[in-house]
Amino acid sequence: MKYLTKLQILCFLLAASAGTVHALGFKVVNAAGEALPQVMVSRSPVNTPEANLADNGYAPNGVTNQAATTLTRFTNTLGLVEFDDTVEAVTYRARAQGYIDTYLTEPGDTLVMKKMTREQYIASFPSNVWLSKLDFGGDIELKKTFQLNCAFCHQQASPSMRAERTVEQWLSIIERMNSYGARLPDDDHQRIAELLQQEYRQLRTNPQQVPEPRAWETHLSTIEMTEWPVGDSFSQMHDFLLHPDGHVYIGDNLQDRIYAVDPTNGEYTVFKVPHDTDAKLGGFLGNRFKTFPKMNNYSGVHSFAYSKKDGNIFITPSMQQALLEFNPRSREFTVHKMPGGFYPHTIRIDQQDRVWFTLALSSQVAMFDREKQAFKLYDLPTRGIKEWMIIKALPLIFWTDPENRPTPAPDRDGTGLPMPYGIDVAPDGSIWVARLYANDLARIDPKTDEITMIDFPFGGPRRLRVDAENNVWIVAFQDSLLVKYEPESGHFSKYSLPVVNEIPYSLNVDKKRRVVWVNGNQSDTLLAFDIATESWKVYPLPRQRFFSRDVEIDEETGAVYTTNSHFPTWQSEGGVPTLLRITPLPQTAGAGTDP
Amino acid sequence: MKKACLALLATCTPFGQAAVATEPGWTYYGGNQGGTHYSEAAQITQGNVGELAVAWVSRSGDVATYGAAMENSSTQSTPILLPPDAGQSLVYCTPFNRVIALDPGTGKQRWSYDPEIDRRGERAFRCRGVSYAEEQRVAAGSACRHRIFVATQDRRVVAVDAINGKLCDGFGAGGIVNLEPSANHAPGEVSSSAAPVVANGIIVTGSTVVDFVHAKTPRGTVKALDTLTGKLLWEFDPLMGNEDSGSANVWSQMSIDEAHKLVYLPTSAPSPDYYGAHRPGNNLYANSIVALDLESGAVRWHFQHVRHDLWDYDSPAQPILFKWRKNGETVPALVLLTKQGLIFVFNRLTGEPLWEITERPAPPSLIAGEANAATQPRPIAPPPLIDAFLMPEQAWGIASWEKMACADQIAKLNNLGLFTPLSEHLTLMYPGSLGGPNWGGGALLGGSGKLLVNINNLPFTGKLIRTSQIADDKKIKRDHPGAGQRMQVTMQGTPYSVEIGALQSPMGLPCSPPPWGKLVAVDLINGTIDWQVPLGSVHEMGPVKLPFQVNWGTPNLGGGIATAGGLFFIAATMDRQFRAFDSTSGEELWRYQLPVDATATPMTYSYEGRQYVLINAGGHHMFKRGYGDFLYAFALPRGSDQ
Repeated sequence: MKYLTKLQILCFLLAASAGTVHALGFKVVNAAGEALPQVMVSRSPVNTPEANLADNGYAPNGVTNQAATTLTRFTNTLGLVEFDDTVEAVTYRARAQGYIDTYLTEPGDTLVMKKMTREQYIASFPSNVWLSKLDFGGDIELKKTFQLNCAFCHQQASPSMRAERTVEQWLSIIERMNSYGARLPDDDHQRIAELLQQEYRQLRTNPQQVPEPRAWETHLSTIEMTEWPVGDSFSQMHDFLLHPDGHVYIGDNLQDRIYAVDPTNGEYTVFKVPHDTDAKLGGFLGNRFKTFPKMNNYSGVHSFAYSKKDGNIFITPSMQQALLEFNPRSREFTVHKMPGGFYPHTIRIDQQDRVWFTLALSSQVAMFDREKQAFKLYDLPTRGIKEWMIIKALPLIFWTDPENRPTPAPDRDGTGLPMPYGIDVAPDGSIWVARLYANDLARIDPKTDEITMIDFPFGGPRRLRVDAENNVWIVAFQDSLLVKYEPESGHFSKYSLPVVNEIPYSLNVDKKRRVVWVNGNQSDTLLAFDIATESWKVYPLPRQRFFSRDVEIDEETGAVYTTNSHFPTWQSEGGVPTLLRITPLPQTAGAGTDP
Repeated sequence: MKKACLALLATCTPFGQAAVATEPGWTYYGGNQGGTHYSEAAQITQGNVGELAVAWVSRSGDVATYGAAMENSSTQSTPILLPPDAGQSLVYCTPFNRVIALDPGTGKQRWSYDPEIDRRGERAFRCRGVSYAEEQRVAAGSACRHRIFVATQDRRVVAVDAINGKLCDGFGAGGIVNLEPSANHAPGEVSSSAAPVVANGIIVTGSTVVDFVHAKTPRGTVKALDTLTGKLLWEFDPLMGNEDSGSANVWSQMSIDEAHKLVYLPTSAPSPDYYGAHRPGNNLYANSIVALDLESGAVRWHFQHVRHDLWDYDSPAQPILFKWRKNGETVPALVLLTKQGLIFVFNRLTGEPLWEITERPAPPSLIAGEANAATQPRPIAPPPLIDAFLMPEQAWGIASWEKMACADQIAKLNNLGLFTPLSEHLTLMYPGSLGGPNWGGGALLGGSGKLLVNINNLPFTGKLIRTSQIADDKKIKRDHPGAGQRMQVTMQGTPYSVEIGALQSPMGLPCSPPPWGKLVAVDLINGTIDWQVPLGSVHEMGPVKLPFQVNWGTPNLGGGIATAGGLFFIAATMDRQFRAFDSTSGEELWRYQLPVDATATPMTYSYEGRQYVLINAGGHHMFKRGYGDFLYAFALPRGSDQ
């Protein structure tokens, strides 16, 4: 066995030195010289490429810059990892569970990592395992309310969050977050503040109660991750789109800019979303982030879809009663004003080139007929007279001054806010919608305009996708589940996530490979569910506090993309949003394989 | 030294915590070398403190001597009580560095020494205390066997005989060591205010540097001198390696662990306070606690609590040394209080944190070329003493229009919480450079691990202004803003000036809800806050003085002390009150109105069977509420249950 191992190392090093002319391979070991498998090794350029950022720290409209690309690979079972050599100065960061991050600029044949102390190890656990031990005094519904309202911007049990605070300090945070857009019911503030203090304190005193995170597994050495930092610490790279022109179009939700990233060379071009000259910051919602130093969200670029007919990109500007159309060839925007509806959210385009999107606040679905250049709005049913009254009052509410407008007090059911959220078009043409607070699904038949509502038996249906067999895949946010709905039988199947207390935001289906990819925002992961075997693979991401809201798949190559959309971005590791791609490595005898 | 220890049993035991046979004294600025601000004196108790009365009042004579110059002074001195062998005098310094010895029972002056300092420059006059040492290399009974050291405003260290106040020949030149040739700096640019620390025949002294006005200010070099000769033994430049900046000086009080031969330096910000593009990186050892080998000055360990400071978050308080007892384990520990309201606890021998320190992401600077730290350290416990956010919804005002005006102001501020860098847009500074805690530090309740600390809870605002946009006649050079002022300082050598002031309503009241000054009890072992109460009444702060107290807390400077009688004594506030609190509950048990504000830390001792509590009351130039030269002594009336 020993002989084999040495032989394999020799083969690896030979492959590294001879197989590709410019390749750099090295071995990662612990202090005892033992090989460390599944070590995440990230290579970044030492110098950030010069960039034109003359527009308030961003590239001016139409200007192209070069991103400082980071490449991450994992060691195989022999502790070996290989990178293509590079002419630029680079630095390597090695990260492994239970070991202290190690940095170096000139790797030799071997990189030695030092083990964490027990205290450091527990402190390094991701948010989800800490969160799993908060039971909110046994009140599981209260915990779900907390998760629904407090876990959609950032991680909840990161070291900053689990630090000791007084009850008053927790209340101050809760009230501040509600002013930013959280909807935690008033009646729950005091209890949650007290429980957060008590239970984090209890965990700090008894850290041995915190379960270990899922161990990194051998499949990691078969992939690489590429990251392109775009925007700055005040950006929020929300949804994005793989476009057939080869670019990835990303929306900066806070700065009203679109980044077109070329994954072949890391160049990106910025397009500034236009707004009316008399538009107000924050649009009809008003500026909820008054105290933020940089905020330019007149539109609130949210979600993307492209037309298979002409390649034009349709974008939901959440703060406007409008739909944006961007022609990537002419680089021109067209604004389609809407007759009503509030908060254009997730968007898809059907086979007839009709544009479908949810209107999250007015509980509607909009259809934009490109041929007729006309909108059709579908009112989704309300859950009672109070909700009906609130929704009908929205035009009046949003007509009033944002500073002084009446705001309905939130309750646990989100009364008045059923919030149609995710949307997708099924192969059979059906439009599927998930309502986050109402815990139901809507199916719209575009032929008849019939709307069918289906109770969702779990909490927090956020985003959904339909697979090639017309099955609807939904993430149940606060219930930590992946759920499949089979329309023909009306059957729901639930699948526990492979990491504890994950709070899944979004998902996508690789129809070709029959894999469902799920965002793992509390655990710094992407999660891949193989539909055939009903088994999971977990992909740890290279930055802590990596919060993603969208997944896109290049079905040709199997590459999977997501963006780091933590809010605020500066709290994410590195402080800059990134576009991330996971790519399968070629299965050769050299790097990336597990012998 | 052993003999001295026997005589001073109270203070040579581990930081005053052990039971003593002799009367409790106060031989060091902070009560002991570890700055615990704690006394075993227990004659005055929660039960009888209501009877506390003035025992005597001594006036230094500074008002008569210096007159209007007092307006640019603050009285911050805490007296020390010398041991019997050294004459058992009370000794303190006035803002002009006059050293005065008094009879501890009557307050009558025994001797005084005037170093006749150079009073040029704009730096406000202050002196926090003197130090005492018994010089073993001088024969018993000889002159200057017992020595008092004072570090002066004009950068001299003076040694005088504790018995009679005469200069000690053989120490420097005629008893004086000149630390800083005056030709090197403008008058007042470098000065001293803290009491030097002394142990093992070594004096260690820091400096105060005016760090606003230049990108590159004088170095904040700490110097160690021989107590006998004044010979320079070693120097330590906290900003070593960074030639483009300056300061990072130690203006606050240091502590010494004599047994382990360690001296602990609370270092301040690098220059200038609010701009750092020319000083890239973390700027070690600025904004740190640095443990040096007392004999060599070598760094044993350090911890930097602010990286690349852009907020003037100096280490303001004397490091407190104590025994950490938890789960059957005893660790020699150190508490670091920071202006930003964070409390760090370390093993003082190794620097290992006793509460996990996390990395908290910090918002980036919007100033071109400024690369502030992506994260700043924060202990996982105890909780911060200040909630550093202030949202428009939290605006405060007596009248609704006033509250709305404040909300409007707050809504226009940049505010991402603690460590939001200043930009060209007005930014919330909460806490501002006043703290949080400041140089008054905290007091430990015996060996309990309970800390009492007074804090400021006031929002400030600030912004950077391109100096090129300011007319020449508007370019100002001034120190910290006083009450109601907005300060504007040209940071020479940088492209910017900085403007800072309090966030106030049109009526001049803070825009944040009270209390604006607090007394907080922290359980260091459990990492929790036990209680907090307002500190100070605002009844004298408005345009009209009210006849009753309004306990909304006031800005405060100066510290408090705890006693075995279950009491915590503190003045510090802008209401001329000297108060005693129940140290277990925060209930106010007694107060006395002084003629002026007392911005010094009190002290206590027992003498001839009677416990005295002393406080210097002379006002503070930043408060602009009058000045004086009073030293008040309080005791229980003779014949009471003392």
